Amino acid sequence: MADNKEKLDQATEKVSDEAKNSVAAAKKAAAQEAKEAESAVETAAEEVSSENAPSEPPKKLKSLKAARAAYSTLVYVVVTFFALLAIFPFVYMITNATWDSFTISTTLKLWPNFKNMGQVITNYHTLTDRATFSFAVGFRNSFVISVSSTALSVYFSALTAYGIKVYDFKIKKVLFALIVGVMMVPAAVNITGFYRLMHSMHLLGTLWPLILPAIGAPATVFFIKQYLDSSLSIEIIEAARIDGANEFFTFNRICLPLMIPALSTQAIFSFLGSWNNFFAPSILLTRSELKTLPLMVASLYGDRYTDMGAVNLGLSISVVPIIIVYCFLQRYIISGVSAGGVKE
Amino acid sequence: MARGTAKKTVRRKKGISYSKWGYIFVAPFIVAYLIFSLYPLLTTFIYSTSNMKSTVADFWGFDNKDVYYDRYLNLNELYTDEFTERTGVDQTSYKRLREYFDKFQSNADSLDPLNEEGIQAIVDYANSSDSDKYSVEAANAAKTAYDNQDFSYIVGDPFKELVDWYSNYKDETMMNIKTVTSVKSRLDSITETETSDGEGSSDEDQVTEESFVQSDEFTEFLTTLNDTEFNPAQQALLDYLSGYLTSALGTDYTVQSYFQDVADGKVSITDPTFYYTCVTLSKTKIDFAEEGSDEKILSTIDVPFMSTLESFLTENSWKDMINSMNSTSSLEDYIKGEKDLHDDEEQLYADLKSLQASGIISIVPLVRDGDSIVESEDYTENKLLAYRRYIDSKYQSNPTATKAAAQISAIKNFGDLTSEGGAPAKFEALGINIYSMINYKGAIDFDKYREVKTAIGLTDALNYDSYVRLDSERKQANIEKAQAALDENKALLPDAQAAYDAAKAGGDEKETKKAYEELRKVENNIKEAEENISNPTGILQKVDSKQLYIFTGLENYRQIFNSKTRLDNVVGSFFNTTILWVIGFIPQIGLALLLSAWFTDKKIKLKGLGLMKGLMYLPNIITSVTIAVFFRKLFMYSNGGNLSASQLFLRNVIGMKDGYNFFESVWATRFIICFINFWMWYGNTMITLIAGITSISESLYESAQIDGANSFQTYTKITLPLLRPMLLYTMVTSMIGGLQMFDIPQYINQNPPRVNFNGTMILSTRTVLMYINSLAFGPQFNKLVGIACATSVLLFFATTVLSLIVFYIMRDKDAAKAKKLAKKGAKKNG
Repeated sequence: MADNKEKLDQATEKVSDEAKNSVAAAKKAAAQEAKEAESAVETAAEEVSSENAPSEPPKKLKSLKAARAAYSTLVYVVVTFFALLAIFPFVYMITNATWDSFTISTTLKLWPNFKNMGQVITNYHTLTDRATFSFAVGFRNSFVISVSSTALSVYFSALTAYGIKVYDFKIKKVLFALIVGVMMVPAAVNITGFYRLMHSMHLLGTLWPLILPAIGAPATVFFIKQYLDSSLSIEIIEAARIDGANEFFTFNRICLPLMIPALSTQAIFSFLGSWNNFFAPSILLTRSELKTLPLMVASLYGDRYTDMGAVNLGLSISVVPIIIVYCFLQRYIISGVSAGGVKE
Repeated sequence: MARGTAKKTVRRKKGISYSKWGYIFVAPFIVAYLIFSLYPLLTTFIYSTSNMKSTVADFWGFDNKDVYYDRYLNLNELYTDEFTERTGVDQTSYKRLREYFDKFQSNADSLDPLNEEGIQAIVDYANSSDSDKYSVEAANAAKTAYDNQDFSYIVGDPFKELVDWYSNYKDETMMNIKTVTSVKSRLDSITETETSDGEGSSDEDQVTEESFVQSDEFTEFLTTLNDTEFNPAQQALLDYLSGYLTSALGTDYTVQSYFQDVADGKVSITDPTFYYTCVTLSKTKIDFAEEGSDEKILSTIDVPFMSTLESFLTENSWKDMINSMNSTSSLEDYIKGEKDLHDDEEQLYADLKSLQASGIISIVPLVRDGDSIVESEDYTENKLLAYRRYIDSKYQSNPTATKAAAQISAIKNFGDLTSEGGAPAKFEALGINIYSMINYKGAIDFDKYREVKTAIGLTDALNYDSYVRLDSERKQANIEKAQAALDENKALLPDAQAAYDAAKAGGDEKETKKAYEELRKVENNIKEAEENISNPTGILQKVDSKQLYIFTGLENYRQIFNSKTRLDNVVGSFFNTTILWVIGFIPQIGLALLLSAWFTDKKIKLKGLGLMKGLMYLPNIITSVTIAVFFRKLFMYSNGGNLSASQLFLRNVIGMKDGYNFFESVWATRFIICFINFWMWYGNTMITLIAGITSISESLYESAQIDGANSFQTYTKITLPLLRPMLLYTMVTSMIGGLQMFDIPQYINQNPPRVNFNGTMILSTRTVLMYINSLAFGPQFNKLVGIACATSVLLFFATTVLSLIVFYIMRDKDAAKAKKLAKKGAKKNG
């Protein structure tokens, strides 16, 4: 009992810390942004003026200058607005997780409850008292599913893409055409058949139905194949063969490390996709001890949860880990999107 | 998109072939894809041609199969004698278990007394401004009962108060729901009588149409009809019926001549009009007495053969008739409020009318009009008229009050049914408060149920193993029986064969035929016995086999395309999905175009591009359910203390006194969903477009600048045309994603307002996937798996068409061009 309580307290502390940090980070980001926007406006204005400084500017140019300044101000205002809009809900969610329900439902709060951070713990207790929401269980299940399905998906997709790229075999062209053909078909359309299959394989009531299908991920294969097309040189493989390496060794030890840029991009998106997946888990996972974080969050929907502080805390709990990870991997994620390495 | 074109492959070198490695490397992918994607897809196609409707053990029960057996397998029916000795289960305890399921649980399922929506409506109505209502305390008791999933909170004073209000409540919708409810229970009673009587009556003298018409009771009645002097009331009734028969059958009939035709066999007694005539004669009690007189002149004419006729009809024609009706299967949906009475209106009206005309139900009362008897035209009495009026006027009631009333009616019925005969007290003796031990949400709460089972004392005696044991025992017994039959018939076979040969040799045709038949019989018996041995019957099939695949061809598709309601629901869900996608996508692509133009504009030189991109992309990676629930809570409406942020804003800043209920408005709900989609995806689209723009050759812009083009001109003349394939790609992939929209509409509003789609009221934000999900995995008992699969197949084709478009856009244009050029070059050179 005591042990559990300790754990709970630790968890709560962690959560509150996280909340604090992210709030601070968000605020900082916002402030920095505003500053940047201001300075940018200034520099832009300066640039414009310095461009035209040498000769005495005619009246026409002057008005053009003013128009340009106004235009770039407008651009900054709009861009800043949308950037703020993108993060506003999260800021609201996280700050409100620190207030009590009464305050939230009587006043609009956009800043954290600095005076009484202990409220977070109270909210956490209110949240977990209902027994349908267990952060630890949800996090564990989500983590297990996402990590293992990502590992499987990335490794086997790399294997397949490599196989198609490097070797010459009969069904190769057909296979690749099929992969391109089916990679857009959503998994959701075969859910009934899939459920039935999982039942007959006695895999319902386990996490396997969400992990194993990752081995056959056509989209990942496609994008890794695209990468290999442009960056893998056959000479390396031939050199390895001459040195007597077997084919698996060549793949695992020599080529896999070379694919890391593509693999990491795919890993990130595969992980996010799996972490955020809702439709299939909502059907396949019925036991409460197997529920993933999104399913836990979905249980907050009901109007029974009327304590807004607790609800916001529950939502924040599911958001904060992603935001933290995003802060570190942002660069890769965005370049991945730029490269078109994402479905949808 | 990287457009890799290099197709370098290892050349075969001096006989060393690596192609086997190719197969090895792609094997895991192929196997996994075949098993986890293609096979389920195939089975989905196959199921779409089956009538699979199931909830039972083999389909949905996995960890808890025994609970499904407890529930759906009635051992009392299987082991009628020496129950305890044969099953090892105490019969008294088992009866209690059956009572738990058959009485309480099935009532809880069918009435759904603690339905979240309904309870919410009860609370909302108590808080509304209507004057005539029940107290807030009573409503809160219902809410507490719901929160704790425990009916015992309502029992007592709150129950009385709610029920009193309900009995005074008058609303046309309610009235019609009541009609439908009574019709449903009448139809249920007919179908149930039949199944339970099925075997018992086979020993008795079988009533046939012929024997019925020749029976004493019938002849006697015919005589009475012709010879008796009827009183004015009875005469009026006969006149009414004669008129009815004439208009219904198109022949000039009097009641007497009609019955004569029945006696002569010209009219079948299974003809619906016949029962209507009989039931009207025997049950219509209309008093024609003078005012102030004590003497009663009643119109009833005693029909002696009513019970024989009823049981005959129940067995022979009613079931077919009920089954052939189009709307009877959906009656339950109406009662539960899952379907609006306007949904299938004409169909339901027609069915009610024919049920009335057949006398099975009586919703058109007869009344006295002067000296004659006519059908009542008061719509509060004449339910058929009420329904017609309801349809014609598209009656609008106070939805909250109606919902509340419907829920209270369910509470009332459940309370009435369970308190009957002190059944709860029996369980109380075992230490179980039965009201709190029932599962009120349709799905079985296994923990709760196990507690009950333990209290009853059957946990050890009746578990999965014991079912398997009973099953194998039954199978063994059947094998032994079959073995005995096999031995016996095998012993008979040589004799039969010899007899046949002898008869054949004898040349007597009759004898030969007889011997041949005897031989065939023995052979068939052997075959049957062998089959029974190889595939013996146990007890579990009763539950397991319910899910067996039965091929029905394109029946599911026919059902979708032939039933207007179903078609409207399917097409409507596609329509909703499209609307939600389009309204979100237009601003999404617009803003993405604008921002990407700014971000790549050399003249503005925006600072902080990386940060902006990072911030704007953030919503895209957050769990969409979280976002949906967040917006749900942001826009939630309430009257009381718990005000959501939007309501606070509306009241305190804008000054709307009562706030605004976004989720009761079709378009507000839709716009919120569209906004979320827009908000989640514009960052993504923007980044893709920026990548597209930066990949456009710099020299184009330089030359444009030299030619004096301004930003706008370069944008419209260079950027946009070159970006077109990218835009198309974005659009189509977004469309494919949009077709799978599920999380957000599902968790923004689970009970969105309905909207009139092509004459059918459909849920305004139900997308295709939500529809499939609710058909196959929803809380209802009969899961329409077949139709869900058929809808999945339609979705599959829609997606495939879109995928082909993407495929076409993404095809390697450079490579195709290069090929063409090469061909041309070859021609020139050659």
